[in-house]
Amino acid sequence: MTRRYILGRLWQTVPMLLGVVVVGFLLVHIAPGDPILALAGENGDEAYYAAMRERFGLDQPLTRQLWTYISRLARGDLGTSAIQKQPVSAVIFDRLPNTLLLAGTALVLSTTIGILAGVLAASKSGALRDRAVSTSTLLLYAVPVFWLGQLTILWFGLRWGWFPVQGRTDARSNSTGLAHFLDVAHHLALPALVLASQQIAVVARLTRTALIDQLEAPHIDAARSRGLPDATILFRHALPAALLPVVTVIGNRVGHLVSGAVVVEIVFGWPGIGRLLVAATTDRDIPVLLGLFVLIGFAVLIANLITDISYRWLDPRIRIG
Amino acid sequence: MLTIGLLMMSLVIAGALFAPLIAPYDPFVLAGPPLASPSRAHLMGTDSLGRDLFSAVVYGARTSLLVSIGAAFPAALIGLFVGMTAGYAGGWLDNVLMRVTEFVQIIPRFFLAIVVLAIFGDGYRNLVIVLAVSSWPVIGRAIRAQTLVVRELRHVEAARAIGARARWIVMREILPSMWSILTVMTGLLLADVILIEASLSFLGLGDPNRASWGRLAADAQQYLRVAWWLAFFPGAAIVIAVIGVNLVVDAWSQSKNRIKPAR
Amino acid sequence: MRQQVLQVTALLVVIMLVAASCSSDDAALDDNSAGDSTSTTAATDTTSAPTETTADPDTDNAAGGGTLVVAISEDPGQYNPALTTSGSVHTASELMFNGLLAYDDQYAPQPDLALDWEIEEDGALYRFNLRDNVVWHDGTPFTSADVKYTFENVLTEFHSRTKASVGSVLVSVDTPDETTVEFRFSEPYAPFLQQLDVTEAPILPAHIYEGTDIEANPANLEPVGTGPFMFASRSADEEIVLSKNPNYFKEGLPILDEVVMRVIPDEGSQVLALESGEVDWLWGVPGPDLERLRKDDQFGTLDTLVNPGGANCIMTVSFNLDRPIFNDVRVRRAVAHALDREAFVERVAFGQGNAATAPISSGIPTAYASGLELPDFDPEEAGRLLDEVGWVRDGEGVRNADGVEGIEDGTPLTFGVHLFPNFAPYGELMKALLIDIGVDLEINALERATMVEQVFTERNFDTNIISFCNGTDPEVGVRRMYISSNIAPVPFSNSSGYVNPNVDALFDEARNTVDPAARKAVYRTLQEILVEELPYFWLVETTSTRIFTSDCSGFRAFGHFAEAASCNRE
Repeated sequence: MTRRYILGRLWQTVPMLLGVVVVGFLLVHIAPGDPILALAGENGDEAYYAAMRERFGLDQPLTRQLWTYISRLARGDLGTSAIQKQPVSAVIFDRLPNTLLLAGTALVLSTTIGILAGVLAASKSGALRDRAVSTSTLLLYAVPVFWLGQLTILWFGLRWGWFPVQGRTDARSNSTGLAHFLDVAHHLALPALVLASQQIAVVARLTRTALIDQLEAPHIDAARSRGLPDATILFRHALPAALLPVVTVIGNRVGHLVSGAVVVEIVFGWPGIGRLLVAATTDRDIPVLLGLFVLIGFAVLIANLITDISYRWLDPRIRIG
Repeated sequence: MLTIGLLMMSLVIAGALFAPLIAPYDPFVLAGPPLASPSRAHLMGTDSLGRDLFSAVVYGARTSLLVSIGAAFPAALIGLFVGMTAGYAGGWLDNVLMRVTEFVQIIPRFFLAIVVLAIFGDGYRNLVIVLAVSSWPVIGRAIRAQTLVVRELRHVEAARAIGARARWIVMREILPSMWSILTVMTGLLLADVILIEASLSFLGLGDPNRASWGRLAADAQQYLRVAWWLAFFPGAAIVIAVIGVNLVVDAWSQSKNRIKPAR
Repeated sequence: MRQQVLQVTALLVVIMLVAASCSSDDAALDDNSAGDSTSTTAATDTTSAPTETTADPDTDNAAGGGTLVVAISEDPGQYNPALTTSGSVHTASELMFNGLLAYDDQYAPQPDLALDWEIEEDGALYRFNLRDNVVWHDGTPFTSADVKYTFENVLTEFHSRTKASVGSVLVSVDTPDETTVEFRFSEPYAPFLQQLDVTEAPILPAHIYEGTDIEANPANLEPVGTGPFMFASRSADEEIVLSKNPNYFKEGLPILDEVVMRVIPDEGSQVLALESGEVDWLWGVPGPDLERLRKDDQFGTLDTLVNPGGANCIMTVSFNLDRPIFNDVRVRRAVAHALDREAFVERVAFGQGNAATAPISSGIPTAYASGLELPDFDPEEAGRLLDEVGWVRDGEGVRNADGVEGIEDGTPLTFGVHLFPNFAPYGELMKALLIDIGVDLEINALERATMVEQVFTERNFDTNIISFCNGTDPEVGVRRMYISSNIAPVPFSNSSGYVNPNVDALFDEARNTVDPAARKAVYRTLQEILVEELPYFWLVETTSTRIFTSDCSGFRAFGHFAEAASCNRE
């Protein structure tokens, strides 16, 4: 059943993605601003622009262009970047691993720290630590990401010199192996934490609420009356059930993480696809922009799928039913 | 907590409503020397052009509130309508509406906003539209879930049993049970919109014709080491507004049988 | 299971913290070395010295190598400077190439690939004698055939500035022998010597490009040039690494072993990277930080009129002359009187520039006219002019039309300004200054493509503020703004829609006048007309400030900026 379910869901993503392509395509093509400028430079004359329009098929009707795009896409061809004159797939996949590393680390960090903080707060609801956690997560949530980024750079990077302030590696050394890994980890720490910050707040608050609910549930009272230690009750009985809604929210917020990466990548000079998106938008590099639409849409759909599956797997009621 | 939250929110609302009375200057005129630190003449100092920051922050409350309400209310209405229809009707209609909802959620909101503002221009109208259009699905899903629960309640079943028309049931029996979750979700959306606007301004996609906190805080980033007040006060305004909304929403949802916003 | 996950992540966090503490020691060492320096004056040395004599191998031979890290704002994705005028491509690639000539800081031509030159037939024939000891990075000798190929097949096809100017008058390129090139023009062409450096006319290797699709040639990503540095490696959106060219034709140069171009998009982050020692050189500094950094003797600075987009740029307001409100020169003059140029210099450019005093930049001494009377800052005169035209004001508010020709009575005096988002502060100050004279200004900050379409294709704007770069000669960047044949859907053309046959004729006359004094006189007459008619108003001649760690010295502000640079570190 599971395998059929997964295949079925995967199949469902196809029309969704197609829809994304069409919407994205129409969006960038009805927008004001002439895409030929990106292709042909800004100092040409009229005849030159006309020739270039023909060469890139921009003189064709929109539906025709859309059809050309989709039929190429079906063969796995995302086209050629207008600015960089390279295949869009190469342009995107050059940068994708960096964003995956950043967002993935942020996901791990936010899930761990968020759940731990939530447990800490819920374990003694109303106490000082509860208030401390609640207040600090609220603050983390309310501060704009770029602001937090610049402040951490100022303090952790410049004032105390603990972390480098930009980039993915040290520009002056060509390390390999373990040294390279440590170099990257060192550069990754600040941006990943900043990207994780808002997510930490959301996960912590949610875990806390769900856990407090669980701790008041009848079967916990029963466990308590059997004289089980508090820690056992907390981790064995209450937490697993409380994590259910948390998992859903973490999955649903993958999009937030990708969006947040845009700002974080710019603040920390991290070479990922968030920056590519901004550059492609301002340069009106339509093939790259559409390629990103497809990729992000796919990533979000897959994330939703994984969430659903893990939800089914975690929740005994659904598993049985 | 509730009182603190309400206090914060009323501060913001008062600023928005009475901006012309509170602000000592037009936020766009040169009111003093450039980059003057806070003083009695300029409570929050002046910016690089010599405009009064306090006036800009006060008028900024108006912009932030207008944008967030402008985006959140339509989103709430659409979400309410779609959610209740899907939840109550069920069947193919539910299926179709839920597929549409999923579809809208595929492209992340911030991502979409960047693209739309960059290529259609960064006026507030565009911002409000793109955020309203992309924000309703979260609300729609929550409303649908709630509708599914309420539909099975005794008083609704009773109404159905006596043969009441569907529209009547939805309006009289189901709608009233939606207010609390709708308020919670809309409140959180208000806060989100303020933060999104700030991040967009950081990317250079804010509207220079309005004073907005996001734009003020984003522009201030390049003065971080020179004029701390430029980043501090608008940033504080954002934090106050977001925390205020969250505190009120928390208190509200706790009092109303713990409706947990699924975000 | 869940506990295992927790353990693994906890371990990761610990590893990261350890990594952090290990390498922060290295950072501390760097900080120490940044402290001692003896070369803060290096900046001023290089500005006056011609390129070739800057390096003195005897004093510099021991130290000076090592890696220079340069911050750039974006990875252009290709590194062929002959294909484009894009500032980001040129910033990343110019060190790998050469032009026939180079320019000193007064834009006087200096030898580069060409050793010397002759001008014949009143300026219709230019002959260059090339160096015979130049080899491409792959070892192939450089010859006159490379020059011919580059001009005929690349520069006059793809490099939009050279295509538009040289391309329209160039008849033929001849190569009598391997070290001689002759350019023949259809008529005397005065500005040619100002268009031959690595920015306007970089020379490509014919043996690599000939017979290929030039735009898709893999060498655009791994360039082969003649320049002081060679392509070593790249990582998309992260860095481009250049290594020393051991066979460079200038004796003893370059000194650095390696130049790393690091991509850091945010200006503020660039400054932080410079201060933390991760980067050695920035092309520009946001205004507010500049004063602070100038006072810090860990850094040296170089001021220049060359911006990344081009040389001698003037922030210019243009009035859409198709719009009825700007028909009357008195309205344009009133706006000009309200715009305090000094305030723009101080509050928007933060002293990085000076108030414009003529339509042509003072950075082009061969054409600039001094002593012209531009409308000075005088809000009262502005108000008087507007009253005279019929834009009347009650008290403090916005003016309304009352008997203005072509405008319905009661229309408020409000119009828009179009600009690129990074120039928004110019619009904000303009708005603030215009409020004073009863004008309501709406700012439209638009991304590049949209802005260019709205202004130049649709002509759907009232005013705009654009940085018009004059280039090294008025032919390159001034002519296009004023001649009536250039009112076209072409970016950075005649945006005001200004038509004056007299001005058209004067530009043609200047182009064909080779005698410098006579040419300058033509440009003066021209500028007097422009100041009288004000189709544009010229705000600020922007300068840009390079800033670098004082461990390194020997820089130039533009072109081959690091050709003779050296660093002195532990």
